[in-house]
Amino acid sequence: MNDEHDGAQDELDTLAAEYVLGTLAAGPRTEVEQRLGHDAELRAAVDAWEQRLEPLGALAPAQAPSAGLWRRIERSLGQSTAPDSTSWWNRLALWRGLSAAGLAATLILGALLLIREVPVSTPSYLVVLVAPLDKSPGWVIQASDQQSIRLIPLGVVEVPQDKALQFWTKGKDWQAPVSLGLVKPGQTLQVPLDSLPPLESEQLFELTLEGPNGSATGKPTGPIQFIGRAVKVL
Amino acid sequence: MTLPEHLFDYEAHLAACARGDRQALQRLYQQEGPRLYGVLLRLVREPAVAEDLLHDAFLRIWAGAGSFDAQRGSARGWIFSVTRHLALNDLRKRQRDAPQSVLLEEVGEGLEASLQSTRIYQCLEQLPSERRACILHAYVDGFSHAEIAAKLGAPLGTVKGWVKRSLVALRECLG
Repeated sequence: MNDEHDGAQDELDTLAAEYVLGTLAAGPRTEVEQRLGHDAELRAAVDAWEQRLEPLGALAPAQAPSAGLWRRIERSLGQSTAPDSTSWWNRLALWRGLSAAGLAATLILGALLLIREVPVSTPSYLVVLVAPLDKSPGWVIQASDQQSIRLIPLGVVEVPQDKALQFWTKGKDWQAPVSLGLVKPGQTLQVPLDSLPPLESEQLFELTLEGPNGSATGKPTGPIQFIGRAVKVL
Repeated sequence: MTLPEHLFDYEAHLAACARGDRQALQRLYQQEGPRLYGVLLRLVREPAVAEDLLHDAFLRIWAGAGSFDAQRGSARGWIFSVTRHLALNDLRKRQRDAPQSVLLEEVGEGLEASLQSTRIYQCLEQLPSERRACILHAYVDGFSHAEIAAKLGAPLGTVKGWVKRSLVALRECLG
């Protein structure tokens, strides 16, 4: 029994070693990579071999790739010109944090109904825009029909003198975000959506900090101030 | 541009990538790009292919940064492995025609000074030279069994046996 077990262990370890070494043919390589997703024993064996052999990587002398390669990588990540302009619609980590916004939306809708004199005509979509870092809610978007929305401030945010807040949205299948115009801190803004497809669940909204006349590129370039996505309110 | 390894916090940079910080990815690229490109070039031998692979590797590092698990190894090692395995997949699929058309210098019999203090160097030194060559040609040059056999002028079956036995010896030596 023990021998059999040891035999199987050895086989697994040899497979892991040849995978890391690189001598497995294409078929077995693919099989190993698929198994790594669920086979903890194989994964541990592969990890151990990666660590054993890694120092050999130093045998290949470092070489500078061509100067344009980083730009190419950056282009593949999403359009971007300014260094600090990670496409917000690609920021997966951000969206993870936003699932809490669904709950926040419900709570804030309740609060709005109770304490604010918002004309209530049973909104069908609601978006809570939160600050990306601390997730504190800053604005609510209310859509009572699918053709216009109201952006309602929950407080006054400070915007540097030479900057403006720009309002953006992006539907699930859209190529890029669309500007909904500039926003003044503390003011409710009504935005017609007639030139856009109807609102949908999960549609993204954000406010970014741009130059005084808005983004020159037609795409968000400045840091995100508030962000959220549409939830259907029944 | 490249800092000494111990001064660069690879793990923090991966964590920042996972949060969507593209500058962190750029710093990783500046830090590791030349090393990884050197490794890729050695493996695939063609600058254009190596650059395509480096491009793909950084997209994968960006997308996978959140799944990096420090329990499984170092962040620098993870970046290296992601990159190297992309090249190996590519090599095994393409079946290189001319492994001998070597543009770059061969891995010599003597290992580089930078390796001499490492455990793996001492372990490799204990192997017969042709078996050591098997391991180095496979790991560093990305050679398949057949390519090693052609390179060393040894039968394929013999090379397969050398590789297996060398790996067993290395595991015993390295622990």
